[in-house]
Amino acid sequence: MEREALRRLCLLNQLSLTDTQKDDVISFFAERDADTATLDAIDTEHVERMVHVMPILTVVREDGACQPFSREDLQAGAPETDEGYWCVPRVLE
Amino acid sequence: MKYETVIGLEVHVELATESKIFCSCSAHSFGAEPNSHVCPACCGMPGMLPVVNRRVVDFGMKAGMMLNCDINRVTTFDKKSYYYPDLPGAYQTTQWFAPVAVNGRVDIETSAGKKSVRIKQIHMEEDAGKLVHDISEGTTHVDFNRTSVPLIEIVSQPDLSSAEEVEAYLVRLRTLLRYAKVAECEMAHGTMRCDVNLSVRPAGSDVLGVRTEMKNMNSIEAIKRAIEFETARHIDALENGTEVLVQETRRWDDAKGKSYAMRNKETAGDYRYFPDPNVMPVVIDDAWYEAIQNSVPEFPEVKREKYIALGLTEYDAERISESIMLCECFEEASEACGNPKEVVNWITSDVMRILNAKKMTYEMLNLDNQALGKLISLTGDGKISRANSKKILSAMFDDRSIDPEAYAEANDMLIGEQNDDMILDVVKKVIEADPKSVNDFKNGKEKALMALFGKCMKELKGNCDPQQLKVILLECING
Repeated sequence: MEREALRRLCLLNQLSLTDTQKDDVISFFAERDADTATLDAIDTEHVERMVHVMPILTVVREDGACQPFSREDLQAGAPETDEGYWCVPRVLE
Repeated sequence: MKYETVIGLEVHVELATESKIFCSCSAHSFGAEPNSHVCPACCGMPGMLPVVNRRVVDFGMKAGMMLNCDINRVTTFDKKSYYYPDLPGAYQTTQWFAPVAVNGRVDIETSAGKKSVRIKQIHMEEDAGKLVHDISEGTTHVDFNRTSVPLIEIVSQPDLSSAEEVEAYLVRLRTLLRYAKVAECEMAHGTMRCDVNLSVRPAGSDVLGVRTEMKNMNSIEAIKRAIEFETARHIDALENGTEVLVQETRRWDDAKGKSYAMRNKETAGDYRYFPDPNVMPVVIDDAWYEAIQNSVPEFPEVKREKYIALGLTEYDAERISESIMLCECFEEASEACGNPKEVVNWITSDVMRILNAKKMTYEMLNLDNQALGKLISLTGDGKISRANSKKILSAMFDDRSIDPEAYAEANDMLIGEQNDDMILDVVKKVIEADPKSVNDFKNGKEKALMALFGKCMKELKGNCDPQQLKVILLECING
C-alpha cells in the first residue's frame, strides 16, 4: 500500500484520515505483505487446489418469488425514512 | 492522417427470472411502491447469507452457449467495492476470477462484410438499486427494489470499429438472448444497457489510443450518435490538439448531442475484487451442463433455411425467424393443421395485426399455438367463416384456454350442414328489401353483388359457406 493508492481509496470511500492514521494503515499493509511473502515461500506444488475454505459447493435454490418481510419491519431501525424510501446524506456524482 | 476507431462493449442484460439472484424477493418491481420487494439480504443487513438462484446459473450458461463460449464448470462469485448507497453492503457481488462463460464469439454482418466479434466473458452479478435525488434537498432517497435483480454482463473484446458494427452486434446479441428466452433485452425498459469503450488510433497501428467509456446507454440510436461524436472528438484532439485525452468515464447527453466528463475511470485495482466467502462456488456437473445444452434452440439462420425448405418465401422465412415466439407459433400451428403456408399467411396478417393493435412485441405472443392450428383447419374446411375466425383469434389472444371449435359452437359461429331452403329464404328477403342493388348488378356493377352478399351473410351471422351462398344469390338474381 503506497501513499498515493491510499489517498485515492480514501477519496473513493469518502474517508478522512490524519497523517498518523495513514502511516498506521501503510504500516499495517506492509506487515500483511510480509506475511504473504512468508506464505508464498511455502512449497505447495503437490497440494491440491481448493476453491473455497469450506467443503461446501453449489448452494443454490430454485427460482421462486416470495415476500415474507414487510417494509415497515425492515425500516424499523432506519435513522431516516420518507415515503417508503431510506434516506441518506445527499449523493450526487 | 487516417484513423480507426476501436470499440469494446460491456452489455448488461437483466435475466428473466422470477426472483432476485441471491434472495427470494421478486425481480419484477416496475411501478411498485419503493422498497416493497426487499428483504434483509438485498438490504445488506448484517448476518444475512446470499443463496444463488439456480435459474440465474442456467441462464448464464445458456447465454454463454448461444454466444459460442466455453463454460467454466467451476464458477465463483467475488466482491467488488462499490461507493454508492444503492448497494448497501458497499460492494457488488459479481464474478471476476471465474465467470460463468469465457472466450466466445458473435458473428455479425454489415455493409463492410462479415465479422466475428470475440466475447471475452459473460459474468453473473447483481444490479444496484435506485437513487432519487430530487425529492428533498440535502437528502438522497434510496429504493432497493432493483438491488440484487440478476444481470449478466457480456464483455466483448475491442473488435468493433464503427457505429454500424455496434448496431449489428447489439441487434444480434438481442436476437440470440431472446431466442434463448433468458432475457427480455428491451433497451427502452432498461433490461439491456450498454457501456461503450472507445479509442482512436492511426489506421494500421497496433497500439491502442486513450480510452473513454460512456456508461448506461439505453438506445441503439443514441449509442450510434455517441460513437460518432466521440470518434470525432478524439480525432480532433489528436489532429488539432483541441484537448488532452484522458482515460475517463463520460456521460452522453443525447438531447445536446455531446458527451461530458463524469469522473476518472476506475481501474480494476480500485474495485479491490476478492472472493466472496459467503457464496459457495458453483460446480456445474455433466448432467446440469447437458440439460442446458439440450435446451439451446436452433439459431435463426438454421430456422430460416428450414422454413424455406418447407416452401416459405425467403421474405416470410426471414420474418418468422426474427423471433423465437413466432418460430414456435409457426412450427406448432403447422404441426397441428399440416399447412405451413396457410399458417404463415395467418401469422403475417392476422396475428401481426392483433399484436400491433395491442402494442405487443413478438416476445409477448402467448397464443395456444396448437389451438391456432385448429382454428386454421376449421376455417380452411369451411366450418368457420373467415370473418368469424378473426373474431375467435382475437378472443384467443385474451384467453389462451379457448378451444376454437367449442368457442365457435357456443357463439353460434359454427357452419353446419346448411339447408339450402334456409339460405334461400334469407336471400329472397335481402333481394326484396334492396331492389336497387339487384338492378345495379344487372346493369354491370359488380360491387352491388358484394353488397347483397354482405347483407345475406350478416343475416346468417356469418354461419354459411360463402360459395354456397354465392351460388344461391346468383341463381335468385338471374331468375
